[in-house]
Amino acid sequence: MATAAAQKHIQLALGLPQRLRTFLARYPPSSILPEGANPEEFQTAYQKVAPNPFQSTKHPVTGKWHEPKYSLRRQAELVKLARKHNVEELLPFTVKGTEYKLAKRVELGLRVKGTGVGQKVKGHKYERQLGAKMEKRRQAMLDMPELIREWKKVGKRNWTKFPK
Amino acid sequence: MAKKPKSRVLIVRLVSMAATGFFYTFTRPRTSTPMSMLKYDPIVRRKVLFVEQKRRGGS
Repeated sequence: MATAAAQKHIQLALGLPQRLRTFLARYPPSSILPEGANPEEFQTAYQKVAPNPFQSTKHPVTGKWHEPKYSLRRQAELVKLARKHNVEELLPFTVKGTEYKLAKRVELGLRVKGTGVGQKVKGHKYERQLGAKMEKRRQAMLDMPELIREWKKVGKRNWTKFPK
Repeated sequence: MAKKPKSRVLIVRLVSMAATGFFYTFTRPRTSTPMSMLKYDPIVRRKVLFVEQKRRGGS
């Protein structure tokens, strides 16, 4: 006998588009099971064949890889539909999911090479040497008043320090 | 054939002592002393000392 809360959930589920309802009937998430229930007991026939229809599976006997039950295009369509109805967390893990995409975005940064976590770029030679060059220039400017004073004292006729 | 005589006037390069690589080019008689002067360096935007660069390979 379904409780009032369960009835409400059923009503909400019936409001979902047919496509999502079919999918969720075939692959119900284990999170909707009551506390302490063993998820393996409540698997549907579809789930026994492929626990996650969004991922490729290795055949236990032949060892060959089988394609996901849902292509990437159909995964993306389902994710978009689920997101529209705020039930994305009921879908199994997929690379098209928002969570995965955000994590990937953090890892990749702004798609500009070198802005992601732990990424580095070699850069042009002038970029790599820029720090040392500016430091040298700064030091030269700090020494400049002293150099000019010395130059004035020695006089330009007797100056002997010429750079190469 | 006789060797070409050395020119009387030299073209010299006065490099900035601010390590910017900026330089002015002047001509001076070969017999005069090397040049050095205070001049404007647009990279550091200041007057700095410019000193004649040593020439390589004689001439």
